[in-house]
Amino acid sequence: MASRGGMLIRVRPGLAASLLLLLLLSFAPALQAQGIPYSRPVETAPQADTIGGGYKTPAVQKPLPRDAYLQMLDVLMLTAAMGMSVWLVLKRRSRKWALALTMGSLAYFGFYREGCVCPIGSIQNVAVALTDRTYAIPMVVTATFFLPLLVALFFGRAFCGGVCALGAMQELVLLKPLQVPPRLDRALGLLKYVYLGLAIFLAIKPALGRDFLICRFDPFVGFFRRTGAPHMLLLGGGFLLLGMFVGRPYCRYLCPYGGLLGWCTRLARRGVTITPDKELDCGLCTGACPYGAIDHMRAVRKDCLYCARCYASCPRDGDLAHAKADLVTLP
Amino acid sequence: MSEPVSRRDLLQQVVRGGVLATLGGGAIFLVQKAHGQVVWQVDAARCINSRLGDTGAEACKLCTTECVVALSAVRAVNEYSKCGRCNICPAYFNITSAVDEKGLPSEKLCPRDAIARKPIGKADPEDPANNFYEYIIDEEKCDGCGKCVMKCKEPLGLGSIVLRIRYNKCVDCNRCAISRACPKDALIQVPVEQALRPAESLHRTE
Amino acid sequence: MRTAARISGGLIALCVVVLLTDYAIATRRGPKDDQLIKALQEQVKSDAGLAPKLAGEQKRVTAARRARKSRDNAIAWLLIVASAVFLTAAKQVVGQPLRTRKGYPGGGSDRNRESSRPSRDMAPSGPGALPIAPPIDLAFVDQLVVREGRGKESAIILLQAIQSHYRYLPDEALRRLCELTEITPAEVAGTSSFYGQFRRSPVGKHVVRVCHGTACHVAGARQITEELRRHLNIPEGADTDAERLFTVDEVACLGCCSLAPVLTVDGHTSGRLTPTTACHALAPFAEKEPA
Repeated sequence: MASRGGMLIRVRPGLAASLLLLLLLSFAPALQAQGIPYSRPVETAPQADTIGGGYKTPAVQKPLPRDAYLQMLDVLMLTAAMGMSVWLVLKRRSRKWALALTMGSLAYFGFYREGCVCPIGSIQNVAVALTDRTYAIPMVVTATFFLPLLVALFFGRAFCGGVCALGAMQELVLLKPLQVPPRLDRALGLLKYVYLGLAIFLAIKPALGRDFLICRFDPFVGFFRRTGAPHMLLLGGGFLLLGMFVGRPYCRYLCPYGGLLGWCTRLARRGVTITPDKELDCGLCTGACPYGAIDHMRAVRKDCLYCARCYASCPRDGDLAHAKADLVTLP
Repeated sequence: MSEPVSRRDLLQQVVRGGVLATLGGGAIFLVQKAHGQVVWQVDAARCINSRLGDTGAEACKLCTTECVVALSAVRAVNEYSKCGRCNICPAYFNITSAVDEKGLPSEKLCPRDAIARKPIGKADPEDPANNFYEYIIDEEKCDGCGKCVMKCKEPLGLGSIVLRIRYNKCVDCNRCAISRACPKDALIQVPVEQALRPAESLHRTE
Repeated sequence: MRTAARISGGLIALCVVVLLTDYAIATRRGPKDDQLIKALQEQVKSDAGLAPKLAGEQKRVTAARRARKSRDNAIAWLLIVASAVFLTAAKQVVGQPLRTRKGYPGGGSDRNRESSRPSRDMAPSGPGALPIAPPIDLAFVDQLVVREGRGKESAIILLQAIQSHYRYLPDEALRRLCELTEITPAEVAGTSSFYGQFRRSPVGKHVVRVCHGTACHVAGARQITEELRRHLNIPEGADTDAERLFTVDEVACLGCCSLAPVLTVDGHTSGRLTPTTACHALAPFAEKEPA
């Protein structure tokens, strides 16, 4: 897994440079077009020496975009957070620490990074890059799209539980989860594939007709930026209110990336397991799972969102097992 | 590994290997196409406000109204090296307004009062045409409405004021919200190295 | 916790209202300001004296818009913090029925643990707490011994029959048994205390079995038992209320962990209980009893 990730991130300097050159060349006409209107008499502009009197031309402010190494840091943080999520949920089986990780991710990926780049939106970029030869996709976006899928292929949806800021918002507002009837749950779950198809369809249109649907209707990005179009904020508020009683509605019924992760998770080697051996088979976890991801006392991995609530409710697991148990005297 | 592999496990392993190969292949394909970073840029040659030929009274305000960032990530920037440092700047003054007792237009152009006018050196009241003034745009007040950009170009101005995206404010949307609205498709995505270059390369005094 | 939830909830509502009003005012005032400035600009063209007024007006509008931006950002942060507090508090309030409630003597102290254990005491003459058993008819024991024989080997059968007749093992009946058979008082005491099926104190009309298996214990069976005992006013050391209507018993596992916490009343099962709903579960049985 590590070597795979390494391969993803590693830049091939020669190749990258030549491709960059190619790209610049392809943009060259644009550069020239940009130059033409400025063939105004700029020479007539008085310069420092003509003005005299010790005048110096002030520097024009030019704020740089986020540094490349900081972007690399984002990818590293993503990888690290997913690793932590896997370890905390599968090994430690601790809800408390998993929750702490969720909050940390919300602070970093949500409020600090303001919800961008996220794998959900990167679906569109990847779709465009695969269909449009001229569209160049930044390295970071590529990594953000593939890393969670790779992790899902081995460990399940660790991204959803530990890293995703959109999920974290809903995870934290969940107050009194109601169980959605399984049939309704399944029917609503199909919505995300419709959404996925629609998003890809709109994204792979020719450049000017392109529309990034997922980004435009991202319900929570307005909260991270604390500004946004009213319809987005309203949508987000609605999801949060609903999310107080229905566990993570966006993730379960609309998130297109969740659909992809679900497919990868079907092949996962490991994942959240509830066994009669390590656990108890008492069924308390079924009631504790707000996402309907426990069927007949066994975790349904493709729906499991790595929140570790099942372990927290388990009499033999998680925080309860690690805590100094309050012993009872049997009569 | 003494345990025999069940058919189900074998099948799963094969499918997983296939998916892994597909993902890896896709990733490598994309990585080969990838470069560091692309950013949005206002193409001054296309922007209604800055391109030549458009001298409409109303500037295009879409950069202000469409951007998802509060007060817009697009701001007007004065390229000082190209600024004529005029006495009566057509971008600072509303030159169609009445003239006051000092011989200057009575009205400023900027609706947010974001441009400051500062004499360079000692101002000589006898020879106003030979005085130079520095025009400084207060970035925090500017919201990129483009009025000054529209005025600072031929025939009166030198075109030193342009609309530019402030990359510390821009959140780098997949499809820039302004680009969706822009009637001239003036917002383009370029590699970051290129986006930061034009300011220097267009300065032609050397 | 409830107060914290209420205060932060109010704060959330306040923030939302402020933001909405701000938005409404801004959307209404924006075009108005624009019109005002446009009108002023027209006037200034004919009357230069109005220029300072226009400049002032422009300054005011810009200042107002910038102030709104920073104000909204501050309120948004406040809203986020208030929501965090509200959710934390609300989760505590919602989660309470399963855990310890305020003013309720649950939790870890030894005294409570003692009181939560129903009495299986062998001494029927406890510290005056037990209800006094009514006088009983011993003729049944005589007939039983005639039917089952006097041998030691039939001790359990005899005890079971006595228990099913009187619904407990009355002291008088056991004494009579010892008189009539070869079984010694020591053997009777040993046998009846060894098996959980025998009880030595009178039982109420309805037997409430509260499951204390692992799952139910985790889900708060102890709190349920304690609440029932409080509700029925069962004194410490006893397991039956004064009217002999209910006997509250703790059992190891009822075998339906997924319904935890569970209790049965005369074989009727109620699951997913909270201390409050547990008391409700007894209500139908209490009503059947003529007052």
